[in-house]
Amino acid sequence: MTECKKIQRDLVAFLYGELQEDEKELFKAHLDQCPHCRGELEEFKKITQAADVFKEDIDDAMASVDWEALPSKVSENILRKDARSRQESWLGKVSGFLFPPRLRPVYAGLLIGAVLGAVVTLMVFRTPQPGEINGREYFASQDFLENVELEMARRDTLDYLERSQYLLLDFVQSPSERSVDFWQSEYAAEQARDLLAKKKYINPQLDKFQLAKAKAICDQIEFLFFELTQVSVHLSVEEVNKLQRMIEDRQILLKINLLKKELERHNEM
Amino acid sequence: MAGLEETIGFTEKLTGSKKREGKDIYPHEDIYALIEKIKEGDREAFMTITSLYQKRVFLLAYSFFHNREDAMDIVQETFLRLYQKINMFKRGESFKNWLLQISKNLCIDYYRKNYGKSRELKSETPVDELNLSGQEGQNPEVSSDLRTIFSAGIKKLAEKQRMIFVMKHYNQLKYKEIAEVLGISLGTVKSLHYKAVQNLRGLITPYMGGQL
Repeated sequence: MTECKKIQRDLVAFLYGELQEDEKELFKAHLDQCPHCRGELEEFKKITQAADVFKEDIDDAMASVDWEALPSKVSENILRKDARSRQESWLGKVSGFLFPPRLRPVYAGLLIGAVLGAVVTLMVFRTPQPGEINGREYFASQDFLENVELEMARRDTLDYLERSQYLLLDFVQSPSERSVDFWQSEYAAEQARDLLAKKKYINPQLDKFQLAKAKAICDQIEFLFFELTQVSVHLSVEEVNKLQRMIEDRQILLKINLLKKELERHNEM
Repeated sequence: MAGLEETIGFTEKLTGSKKREGKDIYPHEDIYALIEKIKEGDREAFMTITSLYQKRVFLLAYSFFHNREDAMDIVQETFLRLYQKINMFKRGESFKNWLLQISKNLCIDYYRKNYGKSRELKSETPVDELNLSGQEGQNPEVSSDLRTIFSAGIKKLAEKQRMIFVMKHYNQLKYKEIAEVLGISLGTVKSLHYKAVQNLRGLITPYMGGQL
């Protein structure tokens, strides 16, 4: 039985003609006297016969290929692939030199930073900043613009009235012996000049928006300042005091106050 | 002893008369000369080598996969590798075995990549339901079922056993050549070939009934 085992290991080699002559003789001699091993040989033979079932498929597959054209096709494909792989290997070398693996996280970080920076910059520049509104992109109705101008006129008038009020108050309240020199002082002269200039600036606005009451008082103030700055040099103390009293009598300061309040009310509206 | 004589006749048929691509029929010197030309970038020489060995590579791949497209992919890849690695070929080696070694490695890689762990043949009919009770040749359906059974059986073999069986049965390589291609000893080839046929017997016999 041990011999059978040994012989059976040679069964397939025998079927395929791979035994040496001496091995073959021994094998045949054993088969002559061993029906069991002969039976085994038959079984193995059937398996190898069954394998032939594919030979027809193989023949069909072989017949389906254009063998004459294949070398040329293979060669073209190979030249194309080879050119591509050479290019890739060249690129690989360059990228390997420029981007060694250990530095790749650093490059990735820099790239992410650059992208984020670009996005933030873009967002900042795209957001319109105050005063940077392009005329073509800005629209306002005529009513809105007129309201803005009226508001500006009111504010300018208020400013003019307030400054005038303070200056007149200073003049009215100055002691009578100094009142003559009041308008010669640098402060008062400068203030008066500024207010005269300002009046010229607000005049058209007062006309445009028909602020008649305000214009009337502003005209009076203007006239007063003009007189005081031009004429006061030649006036006596009594005459200047008379002017002070006149301001009080005419209640110019009160009128200014009332007008201011009226303008402020309009502002609030 | 008529049975034994018949078997010996069958053996001769397996190894001799039906040999497809047996010996390396091309003179070594001619092959070496062509290889030198390929190394110099001669496209004609490359095409000549391709035309000489393309069938052999296709036969190996087709026997392994039983699929024409897979086999064609292997042929293309084999000759691409040949072109890329031609400088590694040493004069004195068997070019055919060297080429088949490339092809064998590609077959195994391709199989692992595309077929994964599933060794079952993708058949619409489960193996258990196939009809093999009739006689082969009498009924084309039976022949087709036997093909399916056998294909499934071959695909269930371990990679090396399968490769050896295919190389021996369909490519009709000698054990010595198979040993060289696979880089294993002659004894191992003989032993694995025996195991392959024995395993096929175990896998196929339950479905074959009285057919064989």
